[in-house]
Amino acid sequence: MIPEVSHFLLISSAGLFLFSGINSMFQREIYSNSSIRTLNINTFNLGIFLMIASFVIFIFLVLNDDFSLLYIYSHSHSDLPTFYKISSIWSAHEGSMFLWIIFLSIWCWLFVNKLDRTHELLKLFIMISSFIIFTFLVFLLTTSSPFERLLPYSPDQGNDINPILQDPALAIHPPMLFLGYVGFVIPFIFLLAYLINGNFQFLWEREVRKWCFIAWVFLTTGIGLGSWWAYYELGWGGYWFWDPVENVALMPWLAATAFIHSLYASIKSNVLKSWTIFLGLIVFSLTLFGAFIVRSGIIDSVHAFANDPERGLYLLMFSGVISISALCMFAYRFPKIISPRLIVRGSKESFLSLNNIFMITAVFSIFLGITYPLIFEYLNDARISVGPPYYNTIFAPLILISSWFIVISLDANWQRFVGLIKILKKSLFLAIFSGFICLMINYISSIHISIIENIGLFAGSLILLRYLYEIIMKLITPRYINIPSLLSHIGFGLLLLSISLNSIFSFEKNFQLNLIENYQFDVVSISLNSMDVRDASNFQSIVASVTLIDGSKKYLLQPEKRKYFARDQVTSETDIRSTFIKDIYINLGEQLDNGAWTFKLRFNYFISWLWFSVFMMILGVLVHIRSVADD
Amino acid sequence: MLPRRKKRVFNILLMFGATAIGVYLILFALDSKLDFFYKPSELNFNELPNNRIKIGGLVKQASIERKGTRTYFRLIDFSRNNNAEVAVMYDRVPPDLFKENSGAVVLGGFNDNQVFVAEELYAKHDENYRPREVTSE
Repeated sequence: MIPEVSHFLLISSAGLFLFSGINSMFQREIYSNSSIRTLNINTFNLGIFLMIASFVIFIFLVLNDDFSLLYIYSHSHSDLPTFYKISSIWSAHEGSMFLWIIFLSIWCWLFVNKLDRTHELLKLFIMISSFIIFTFLVFLLTTSSPFERLLPYSPDQGNDINPILQDPALAIHPPMLFLGYVGFVIPFIFLLAYLINGNFQFLWEREVRKWCFIAWVFLTTGIGLGSWWAYYELGWGGYWFWDPVENVALMPWLAATAFIHSLYASIKSNVLKSWTIFLGLIVFSLTLFGAFIVRSGIIDSVHAFANDPERGLYLLMFSGVISISALCMFAYRFPKIISPRLIVRGSKESFLSLNNIFMITAVFSIFLGITYPLIFEYLNDARISVGPPYYNTIFAPLILISSWFIVISLDANWQRFVGLIKILKKSLFLAIFSGFICLMINYISSIHISIIENIGLFAGSLILLRYLYEIIMKLITPRYINIPSLLSHIGFGLLLLSISLNSIFSFEKNFQLNLIENYQFDVVSISLNSMDVRDASNFQSIVASVTLIDGSKKYLLQPEKRKYFARDQVTSETDIRSTFIKDIYINLGEQLDNGAWTFKLRFNYFISWLWFSVFMMILGVLVHIRSVADD
Repeated sequence: MLPRRKKRVFNILLMFGATAIGVYLILFALDSKLDFFYKPSELNFNELPNNRIKIGGLVKQASIERKGTRTYFRLIDFSRNNNAEVAVMYDRVPPDLFKENSGAVVLGGFNDNQVFVAEELYAKHDENYRPREVTSE
């Protein structure tokens, strides 16, 4: 009975959104009549309320282990801790889609209720968001309903959530990511409303900028958490694999980063009007494209959702219609959107917009990398895959030039050109210095360093040096310093540097060990002390205790292998010791016939720096949000 | 030509030039960084490709053999409707989801003995993080 209530509430809310959308469509005046306005807003709010109520009931069902629901049966288990019962909701397609829509609607709801009741775009905003929410609800209810039941013989026990998803980072990673993805629905809808409305005197940027920055923070946090989880839980030793699923998250991220930069310039000096609008529309379109790629199973990925053509077709249709109609609207209005000012060559905005173009180039190359295998297979009847070398080759030159622009734009001024010599003087000196750092690292390390890694090193240290210089100058003579920009760009520089250093120095050793045996290389010696069997409520594990002596330091590492009963699945728990410079990362493999165990040991350099750099980027934007909130 | 028009032509040419270089670089990168993807039955053992390729298939039952850190196994087609198979060697600890009768993708090249030496080994899985073929059966 209760599942039906939840299902019914969701259907009713879809009906309300349809009503609210049509209702606002047929009102000519911009809410001249306040009772109709109230009706419309209340319908919208009621729709949101019913939807949230439906979700709350669904959570209640999960907590009460109602295994008569197919979704809960397949992804939950009565022994699970409450935390993982809730996170099991977004562990597969149907539930995560439900969460996605909930977040989408909550963002819209917050924005609608924040807007002034007499705002000229309120009606259009409600209309577009109602239609978007309605369409997604129809998608959820018809093709991927989480309310399907197993009746009359419902099972007593669930199938359990996958063990490798039973992890705190993974429990928060999807909600963060979704909040970020769908957060960009606000600028999308608002801009679409703005374009339809056609009053281009109105300055839209200030109304949405805070929302965009907040969405960016969520998106970055989400991607960061996902990467961190993959690093320590999947046991592959890496943090980024250029897998399609990761790429479809990176595309909106890059577009969003370009968007918030050009939004800033647009507010600051009234330039790049139409370009900013274009980016605002593109971010959400890329999000929709990502949803299509991930959920249709069209692309071979190591972590794709199950292949379902019906879902894919619907999503492709919907995301196509919505993005193309938004872009058509943009093209139609384009001649009327006039930037009051043009960009001065050599000004700060000019470098910013060039970097914007690079980011969009990167987005395009990723897009090509994702779709190329499909096109190639269609044309040549042979299958290919596009891997990390492609992306590295594309990104290296882009990063080289854009880091240079970041650095020189610090010396450039808004709106005017101060002269080539003045701009280049400082950066040239710093470039020589960071080139020198590169040479030093090449000289010191016995490892061959590729051109791409050298570019990363150079670009990273160039940015860091420039900002270091800025900080020192600030300490000597008090002057204005843009703290959010400083933090985020230092974060970016550090990111480039740690990615390159990680790629240069990290290495892996695979070996076998018997009890009390020793394995040695360089100054490292590893011995296996014991293998213990431990029992837990839903799994049994074998824990190896390994002593690792690295020079003068001694570590006790305990990687383990777990066997989960409910799914008869084996997982490895990596043991990681983080030091300032490197992570010691050890995986337990299999037992061999002679009784020895195989191990995979990785020394991952500068990984904690990488996490820290992501944190810095987020911190910068958070500080910026605060300063925006103040004015 | 008027100076203003000259400037405009120059700008347009510059734009075209930059775009052309960009597209060329992307296509160049794509062309040289591709890995061809084969099923075991698509390989011709008389004429094995000598570049880096990917092979995707099912790990044959009872074919996994471990010698030290090396894992030897055989890959067959997912469809199991022919008897083509490829011998694979992987010298690292395989991922957890790697097991017989489940999907695996290997990246690497053939050695002189027609054994595929894998640099990378991915175990395939779906949204349930279980090998895809197990769930579809």
